[in-house]
Amino acid sequence: MVDTLLSPELLPRLEQLELLARRRAKSSVKGERSSRARGHSVEFADYRSYVAGDDLRYLDWNLYGRLERLFLKLYEEERELPVRMFLDASESMTFGEPVKFDFARQVAGAIGYIALCGFDCVSTVVFPEHESDAALRTALRMVRGRKSALAFLRNLAALTAGGPANLNESLRRGAVEARHAGLAVVISDFLDPAGYEQGLGALVGRGFQVDVIQVLSPEELEPTAFGDLRLVDSETGAQQEVTFGRHRLAAYRQTVEAYVRKLRDFCRARGASFFLASSATPLDELVLKRLRQAEVVG
Amino acid sequence: MSFLAPTAFAFAAAIPIVILFYLLKRRRVVKLVPSTLLWQRFLAETQASAPFQKLRKNWLLVLQLLLLTLVILALARPFFAGKTAAGRLIVVILDASASMQSTDESPSRFERARREAFDLVNSLHETDQMVVLLASAHTEVRQSPTSNKAALRRALQSCQPTDTPTRLTEALKIAHPLVKDRRDAEIHLYSDGAAPDLTEFEFEGLNVVYHQVGRRALNVGIVSAEARAHPEDPRRRAVFASVFNASSNNVSGELELRFDGTFVETRHVELGPRETSPQVFTVSQEKDGVFTLRLDVADELLVDNEVQLASLMPKPVNVLLVTRSGGYLERALRVVPNLSLTVAEDIADGGANYDVVVIDDVLPSSWPAVNTLAVRSAPTNWVQVTGRVEAPLIVDWKNTHPLLRFVNFDEVQIAEALKVRTPTWAVPLVEAPDTPLVLAGELGRQRVVWIGFDTMQSTWPLRISFPIFVANAIDWLNPASARASQAMVRAGDPIRTPLSGSATNAVVQLPDGTKRTVPIDPGQREFAFADTARQGVYKVDTGDGESWFCVNLLDPAETDTTPKSELRFGRYARALATTLKPANLELWRRLAAAALAVMMFEWWFYHRRTA
Repeated sequence: MVDTLLSPELLPRLEQLELLARRRAKSSVKGERSSRARGHSVEFADYRSYVAGDDLRYLDWNLYGRLERLFLKLYEEERELPVRMFLDASESMTFGEPVKFDFARQVAGAIGYIALCGFDCVSTVVFPEHESDAALRTALRMVRGRKSALAFLRNLAALTAGGPANLNESLRRGAVEARHAGLAVVISDFLDPAGYEQGLGALVGRGFQVDVIQVLSPEELEPTAFGDLRLVDSETGAQQEVTFGRHRLAAYRQTVEAYVRKLRDFCRARGASFFLASSATPLDELVLKRLRQAEVVG
Repeated sequence: MSFLAPTAFAFAAAIPIVILFYLLKRRRVVKLVPSTLLWQRFLAETQASAPFQKLRKNWLLVLQLLLLTLVILALARPFFAGKTAAGRLIVVILDASASMQSTDESPSRFERARREAFDLVNSLHETDQMVVLLASAHTEVRQSPTSNKAALRRALQSCQPTDTPTRLTEALKIAHPLVKDRRDAEIHLYSDGAAPDLTEFEFEGLNVVYHQVGRRALNVGIVSAEARAHPEDPRRRAVFASVFNASSNNVSGELELRFDGTFVETRHVELGPRETSPQVFTVSQEKDGVFTLRLDVADELLVDNEVQLASLMPKPVNVLLVTRSGGYLERALRVVPNLSLTVAEDIADGGANYDVVVIDDVLPSSWPAVNTLAVRSAPTNWVQVTGRVEAPLIVDWKNTHPLLRFVNFDEVQIAEALKVRTPTWAVPLVEAPDTPLVLAGELGRQRVVWIGFDTMQSTWPLRISFPIFVANAIDWLNPASARASQAMVRAGDPIRTPLSGSATNAVVQLPDGTKRTVPIDPGQREFAFADTARQGVYKVDTGDGESWFCVNLLDPAETDTTPKSELRFGRYARALATTLKPANLELWRRLAAAALAVMMFEWWFYHRRTA
């Protein structure tokens, strides 16, 4: 199962990467990321005057010898980076050839694997809620350490998708629930009639560094069905009649481009990174090339 | 407005059906998609929940309903009860003579004329009527007065050009009673004007529109031909031909003579503009056969470039002279070449052993059954003698008749003549004020020449005209020469041949090889075949053996293909060629075609969206 999600050839290459945080870690858990907190590490940060009760082990005796005053040496505290991934598992993600959800899981697996190898905490929010694999989703809520990487990938691969998405609500709740703001990666097709603006806005407002990856299938980018069609929405069940011909392909492309452009502009305005990926895109191209060029990983 | 066929409104029941078809939902392919979010732009135009909302802006439906309404109205045949003048009567005369086969128009003058006649049919109003006459040697009424354009087109389409001369007078005489009392009647004549006989026709203010076809005359043709015994050597034949150049250029070509398909002689012919060149071939002939004269010249009318001439071998003519004295008549007979003369005082067996019997002022014991020259024979049952005329004065003679060729009656005095009435079987050749003096004609199949005075009691035997007349008479009475003259027929004239009485049908082989069987009524003594519109050799088999007939054009007026821009009728009237084209061309076909194109475009446009 792990092999199908991420190929064995890819894993060593991912291990060499790490997630690049543009902000200092705010987590309270020790890790390998520099933070503003002062604590115990090898990196010297500052001095302060001794007050009663301080640990005598951190007194700078050389300074006391020269100045006869007691100073305490302060070190940078290294904290972990909380990586919060939002994975869209709605019904609309089950379409496409290759299936969009499979691709989205692979992307989430790759980013999560990179984070775990970098001793970051990975929290995956799979929405919408689904009763059948509630245990899996709970297990994915908080994963730490490299040793958990295989279990993390296995759980991702066992996920099932279905049900209508509520992007705004899912993202907003995920933002609120997070104890520390960190890196937020949202993987979705963003085809929610209710929109995505509030959800993404909530993440940005909470202080997350947001990376948005929009996954669309090749059929959505370039339809192959023509004629008199009755379209049935997979999530809402609404039926719509459409007469579609090849000469209208250009108009359809314009519609898709406008939709994508609107999302991209929204992200850029809020300092979030945006990536559009077809579900047929090779995974290594997205992760090792595009995300690397955009300095999401490095 | 009223309707001629109001029952057609029953078709209005189709209107709700058309609307119903539009209300029915189109069968659509159901397709599950991730989200309809990206399709919103394409949903709007076909969104229709309520049926009548769907119909509101459907121009295709509106067009179809409009079309259906128009069709129903047309089927109901609406009309206004107004007052209108009666339609015109148009008589179309289509010249189908030989000259109309000229190819100076493309593809020919006749086809051009027919095209213009078609245009005229297209321009007819609903109330107009048209008659189609096809004028060649005879005039055929191809279509009696009708407004039915399809019938008129069929009639025009069935017309074919012939190899015959034109006789437009006959066509105009047929057209005349149709149009004479109608002011709105028109005669449309489509011709090249190559018609020699129009001066005989009194115009009488007819409304003739002359549509001239033909652009130029580039034609050389044989206008006369004959095969005769050579005057100096009766065993040889002399073939005479006249070649006429109708064009305004110098023309040269080859004139070829064949006998029964075997090449005999060719001669180079050079002709100046509008020049006629006589040609004589002298040929030895061993058997009966057909001479073919063929003119090899590049011109635009082929039909007059070939002539067939029947030529029978000369046979000695056996003549029985029944006379008491002989005299000048016997001497005149003895100088006729190729003649075997027997002189007797009476006739035995009705003269069955002889070709010609000459009765010279005697009353024979039996009247001859063969061709006869009778001099002052009375009483007879041929003529009814009513008295005698002393010293009759010759006032007229018919020198166009073959009997009187080169014969002159000037200074001929007659002592006494029988006074007779001209019988129905004969024509008077020489006439005095009170009585005909010489009669000639055919009694059944017997040719008779009757002279009503004693030649010995006149000065005629002392004139050179007497032996010439006797030679002409023997030639005319000779059954062989009669057969030979019957074998030469002008295109359009009937073929005639005597019947023995036992035949029940005759088989005619046309020049193109097709055979036609014609039934013969019992008791019919002569077989006639009139369908001689094509020139060539016609073979007729009536059971007595096959005889052949050569049908030729031989008409200088047809060979002269110069288009005439003016036709003269009678003495004073004339018709100028019109350049006006018929107006009032109907547009409904074009409009209907445009409507069809629009509908096809609509259909294509509609389906383009789903292609």
